[in-house]
Amino acid sequence: MAPELALGGLQHWLQAVIEAPGPVTRALASREAARLVRPGRTRDVVLPSKRLSADARVGVYQAMYLPRMLEALESDYPALAHFLGHAAWQRLVRAYVTAHPSRSYTLNELGRRLPEFVGRARVPRPAFCRDLARLEWAVAEVFDAAETRALAETDFAAVAPRDWERARLVPVAALRLVELDHDAGTWLDSLKHETHRHPKVVRRRSLLVVYRRNYGVMRREQTPAAFALLRDLVDGQPVGRAVARALGRRAAARLDGADAAFRLFREWAAMGLFQGVL
Amino acid sequence: MNRFGLPDLGVGIGLRTVHFGEILAGKPALDWFEVLSENFMDTGGRPLHVLERVVERYPVALHGVSLSIGSTDPLDRGYLRKLKALATRTRAAWVSDHLCFTGVLGRNTHDLLPLPYDSATLRHVTRRVKQVQDALERPLVLENPSTYLAYARSTMPEWEFLTALCDATGCGLLLDVNNVYVSSFNHGFDPRRYIDAIPAQRVVQVHLAGHTNLGTHIVDTHDGRAIPPVWKLYARLCARTGPVSTLFEWDAKIPPLAAVVREAAKARAFRTATAATGTDGA
Repeated sequence: MAPELALGGLQHWLQAVIEAPGPVTRALASREAARLVRPGRTRDVVLPSKRLSADARVGVYQAMYLPRMLEALESDYPALAHFLGHAAWQRLVRAYVTAHPSRSYTLNELGRRLPEFVGRARVPRPAFCRDLARLEWAVAEVFDAAETRALAETDFAAVAPRDWERARLVPVAALRLVELDHDAGTWLDSLKHETHRHPKVVRRRSLLVVYRRNYGVMRREQTPAAFALLRDLVDGQPVGRAVARALGRRAAARLDGADAAFRLFREWAAMGLFQGVL
Repeated sequence: MNRFGLPDLGVGIGLRTVHFGEILAGKPALDWFEVLSENFMDTGGRPLHVLERVVERYPVALHGVSLSIGSTDPLDRGYLRKLKALATRTRAAWVSDHLCFTGVLGRNTHDLLPLPYDSATLRHVTRRVKQVQDALERPLVLENPSTYLAYARSTMPEWEFLTALCDATGCGLLLDVNNVYVSSFNHGFDPRRYIDAIPAQRVVQVHLAGHTNLGTHIVDTHDGRAIPPVWKLYARLCARTGPVSTLFEWDAKIPPLAAVVREAAKARAFRTATAATGTDGA
């Protein structure tokens, strides 16, 4: 049966073995692989070498798959990997790449669905892990986002006062707004210290702007009122409507007067969050 | 110049993130850099900024790992468009990738998986190389991969397959001398036979690297210096090709820039010695 495999079938078989978990003998017997080449018949498609059996030669490729996925995901999620520890991180990555194998030419895309996945996974503190992963993914996206020239305060000053009501602000590409239920930012920062004294995981609403200046990724916490206003602006609401909504919100999410909005605009302009006014 | 009119860029190394600072701060004694295409196709941040600074000072060539030229999946046209745009932006001397497949059925293992070397595969890869060259509007340069298995259905050695592919498509060769050595150990052939058989006029570029010998097989780890037999094969190749663009790859356990530059300097010495004597000294 095996020698008649067309090129596509042969490639499908090798990929199926490589992606399957466990030792190579188990991988060769996995349902997807065994459908193409019967377990025990590897020699029909792969030659043994002087020192390795046909199974072992396929095993060389199979053994390198998970470490490659671990390395790729750890580069985007170093804090999550550290929080979970090697064994739990490895289990998570194996489960994740089984559910969501790479479908892109770039490994940069591999981790896109990990925040959602880890929140439902059997890991310690899944809700915190989800928050930590969401923050790390935002950092990764901002790091790679296109460079766009940010408006300076003078650009804002050039807009006629009467035009602000209907104006819409265009955010820079390297900007993400992240809402978390835990203080994942502090935990992320603790990774930078050699002592690795990590803070206790506590539930605390955390509203973050992740952005880039001079190619460095920055993060700044916002009040609920400021965050809600910024969210409206980033979503394309006209400035007048966004400010009116901010002034009309309840309690903590309400902006404390138009002056506060003005102060926030200056702060965001200094952070370089906008690239244009429409 | 080789038969494609592509220049001999001299001796270079791969552009790696850990060396960004050192490269920008000084001007290392290198002739050119090789850039991993996929690392720069989707970034607009610091990596692209650094690449643009490098391109101002050095020639570059693009080297990819995701073309998957041997896959039975359709070619990724979006990938080719981005690759062409990056080649234009960086004024890349050429674009290379590997003779392999990386995945099938829409999935990607991100490994350089071996192809069976037979006439059906040759027809398949020939068709795709021509399509890629049309899309990129330049010759494609293909590298011989390190391989750890051989297929029962293969009917020809890798060097014959590559020669036939070059003849059929006009593509160039990136001959990885370390990969020749690794595969010769893993498959039990004489690496000198490979070096002597490849069409020298098709060789656009050479790769040199370190590997890990596990006793039963060798893995192409790029984590150290090249071993003496690899240097000897390189000299043998240079005696056939004449001076050819050469690059030292160091991708794991990457040392400070100076150590990688030292390996590149060693390649320069081999090139010069071979050019002076016209022999590999063997």
